[in-house]
Amino acid sequence: MPQHAEKTAIVSIQKVVKEYHLDKVVVPALRGVSLTVRQGDFLSIVGPSGSGKTTLLNLIGCVDTATRGTVMVDGQDTKGLNDRQLTDLRLHTLGFIFQSFNLVPVLSVFQNVEFPLLLQRKFTAAERAQRVDELLKKVGLDKHTQHRPSELSGGQRQRVAIARALVTRPKIVLADEPTANLDSVTGENIIDLMKEMNEEEKTTFIFSTHDAKVMSHANSVIRLADGKIAAGKAAAGRH
Amino acid sequence: MGWALLLLRISLRNIFSSFLNVIVGLIILAATFFFVVGGSLVNSMDKTMSKSIIDSVAGHAQVYESSSKDKPALFDSWQIPDLDPIPDFSKIKGPLLSDPNVSAVVPEGVNTAIVVYGNTIDQILEKLRKAESPGAGSIMEPAQSNPGPPHEASGQMTRQQRKEMIDSLKAHVRQMIFVIQNDMEKHNKIGAAGSVDPQSIKDLQHAASPAFWAGFDADPLNHLEFLENKIAYLVPDSDQIFLSYVGTDLDAFAKSFDRLQIVDGGMVPPGHRGMLLSKYVYENMFKLKSAHRLDQIHEAITEKRQTIAKNPDLQDLVRQNREQTHEIVLQLDPLSSQKAVSILQGALHSKETDLPKLLSSFFDTNDSNFEARYKIFYDQLAPMLELYRLKPGDTLTIKTYTKSGYVEAVNVKIYGTFQFRGLEKSSMAGSLSLMDLMSFRDLYGYVTPEKIAETKSLEKAAGVKFVPRDQAEADLFGGSTKTDVVQSQPKAINDEAAMGGAKVKRVDLTRQAYTQDEIDKGIVMGAAVILKDPSKLKQTMKNLQAISDKDNLGLKVIDWQQSTGFVGQFVNLTKLILFLASFIIFVVMLVIINNAVVMATLQRVREIGTMRAIGARRLFVLFMVVVETMALGLVFGTIGSALGSALVVLLEHVGMAAPNDWFYFFFSGPKFFPWLNAGSLIGAFIVVVIVTCISALYPAWMATRVSPIQAIAAED
Ligand SMILES: Nc1ncnc2c1ncn2[C@@H]1O[C@H](COP(=O)(O)OP(=O)(O)O)[C@@H](O)[C@H]1O
Ligand SMILES: [Mg+2]
Repeated sequence: MPQHAEKTAIVSIQKVVKEYHLDKVVVPALRGVSLTVRQGDFLSIVGPSGSGKTTLLNLIGCVDTATRGTVMVDGQDTKGLNDRQLTDLRLHTLGFIFQSFNLVPVLSVFQNVEFPLLLQRKFTAAERAQRVDELLKKVGLDKHTQHRPSELSGGQRQRVAIARALVTRPKIVLADEPTANLDSVTGENIIDLMKEMNEEEKTTFIFSTHDAKVMSHANSVIRLADGKIAAGKAAAGRH
Repeated sequence: MGWALLLLRISLRNIFSSFLNVIVGLIILAATFFFVVGGSLVNSMDKTMSKSIIDSVAGHAQVYESSSKDKPALFDSWQIPDLDPIPDFSKIKGPLLSDPNVSAVVPEGVNTAIVVYGNTIDQILEKLRKAESPGAGSIMEPAQSNPGPPHEASGQMTRQQRKEMIDSLKAHVRQMIFVIQNDMEKHNKIGAAGSVDPQSIKDLQHAASPAFWAGFDADPLNHLEFLENKIAYLVPDSDQIFLSYVGTDLDAFAKSFDRLQIVDGGMVPPGHRGMLLSKYVYENMFKLKSAHRLDQIHEAITEKRQTIAKNPDLQDLVRQNREQTHEIVLQLDPLSSQKAVSILQGALHSKETDLPKLLSSFFDTNDSNFEARYKIFYDQLAPMLELYRLKPGDTLTIKTYTKSGYVEAVNVKIYGTFQFRGLEKSSMAGSLSLMDLMSFRDLYGYVTPEKIAETKSLEKAAGVKFVPRDQAEADLFGGSTKTDVVQSQPKAINDEAAMGGAKVKRVDLTRQAYTQDEIDKGIVMGAAVILKDPSKLKQTMKNLQAISDKDNLGLKVIDWQQSTGFVGQFVNLTKLILFLASFIIFVVMLVIINNAVVMATLQRVREIGTMRAIGARRLFVLFMVVVETMALGLVFGTIGSALGSALVVLLEHVGMAAPNDWFYFFFSGPKFFPWLNAGSLIGAFIVVVIVTCISALYPAWMATRVSPIQAIAAED
């Protein structure tokens, strides 16, 4: 359904170049990347270390801007947005899962998940509680709502992070090597969970990895090498 | 709402999360503790001391002649302010009293006098001279109707008694000469051979010779003169006492300042001339020095729980007592000396027969034997000694240097000693004695018609040449100390001369009662104004100034604080010190807290970045840092304030002991009971809020600059 694909493109990247300036040396991280992600995709970005995966995710995640080329997220050109607008885009449209979980250490599991809802300021306490509980149940942590992150295992923490990323019902969830700090079994479980969410909530997932086992779960894969999309880009589409 | 709650939740949870926060917290705790305790102490001290000052001498306000160069400085007795006199007190009293809030107007002027005290041998010779001259017996008679301890009533003695008394005095003088000779020998042994004038040695030998005393009765006056001129000055214990006093209407003063308490003797009878010595001055200046030193050690041990072993000041007092036995030795006549020796031998279990040596070892006290010896001293030795060289009922010759430099002198009867309740131990409140206004005016050099007549009759009676004022100065500073004393005590000499001859008004003066009108009509240096409602001080001062301006009284009105010189400024000084200390603490807090919060923020870059990535705006992280620091401040500030308040409340119950006599004045007594001051508590909180707010601003701004990329980037 190629004609339909245009309509549902949630992320669209055109000839993006990203250069870092270290002293007087220009480090090219991305050298002309074009890519379209459609709603509901479960996309894996793979490539060796230094190939530009994180850089690409930063651009999609609206935490960084491209040197050249356009990055469209949910129909908006990120280049034209100010910090406040980018922040709001992240808050309402995007969800993040980090390699090292990045939970707020002094807040409980419940409070960590509730955090983005509080920032959104559109729900009552009851609505918030209902959503948080629902998500925590889905990720299997309904028994641990009052625990502190430090009392949880790595896998459990990443589940909290997934719940937090999903609680605002974002259109896109970005995850930069979400399994890198986990053992392989736990890592696979996490990917399975993400996949489950992708199917249930129709949330678009874009995650980077250099773990072959992990990428096998993805329904499309983008290979990056040296800042460019390498051959073997899987065709977009569900299996 | 949820937003703010979240911030609060995060910040409260974060308080104990890092070591840095605990440091910041402890600084805030210490600072609020300091603010609450320091503020309360200074505030309480201010109130307490104001009360001391107002209730002892100053009153609520003071008036003085507006043309004066200085303003009154009641407690700065070391420097008398240059004030112009108010010519007639009666003219200002009425108008000032017309203000409904004024309850009393008490004339007051401070001055410093010099009291020259003859040495021990002088006093004995004086007694001997009086005993030898039969007419002198009547001197004391007129004084007997006055209150006070009985005197040696030489007037009522039989011939036999007189002979015994003369013999005893003579023996005492011989004993003294013997003591002086011994001293000189010792002195010659230690020092260079030429250190003692050979003429003095010859004079002493002459005075000690049996031949001198064999011929004494035949020509007592010549022999006395030899002793007075050649021997007396060899005893180096004569003293100049500087005496600060307030010249005032004593009756009005006692009524208005009800902290005044008579300790020894009695009040000056209404309308009479006379003086009340401050008990503090009396003890310090007029008591036998050895006894006073024993008192000081005794007080330190019993009341301040100090020990001789640990306190160098007490050791110094013991040393002085050990070395300075002279005063006691000279006071004892041969019979008493004998008795003292046996008492001391018994007390010390010693076979020593030399009195000075016995006294030295007796006074060589330590913590274990002090109290026993203190008791022996007062029970057994003191009855033989004159503990005070001045007793209520005695007359003191007081001289002052007037502004133009000449000397005025009057004889004033000392009726008793006094203290201000609650300020008994204060050297500051105790520095001032009280004198009647009439004597004060005489000493000020105020010439009344009455006084001119008196001076003239005295001149005639004594045949003393009038010393012109211009020349007086030259005489004063050109002559030796000896002649200075003679010249500066013209009335003391005149008195005696007058006694034998014509009846002079002078005798009447000390006995005359003045009417209130007479007391009021005349110069005063200023006046204390006592108010009914002290809280209206500012307004009443304005009213009084207006009254003065309207009636052309030429007065200036100042409050008690301005009128008490350095002491009044002391409160302001402590406030200033507190303020400066607070300011320094404030700045130090700012710097330290700022640095700590910057470090804490740097440690939380990942957390802040995460929040930003998730969608927290810059303003959110800014608030987060500020609220966190403030919460930290408020929590630890509350603990600090609570601890500080607890300490102040504790002190309010147990009291703070004054570290030394100087503090008695500021503490209004030996113990100070501070109370919690709401202003200090509020102030402490305001400071905490301001400090934390300001010191969090930079790190908060830093936090807004944290990029979300920093959260995404892997740890490694
Ligand atoms: N902040 C930066 N400054 C300079 N160079 C950077 C920065 N971030 C990444 N790079 C460089 O850009 C290239 C791509 O890095 P990155 O996107 O982190 O790759 P990956 O995530 O695939 O390991 C690398 O050569 C890296 O050194
Ligand atoms: Mg990377």
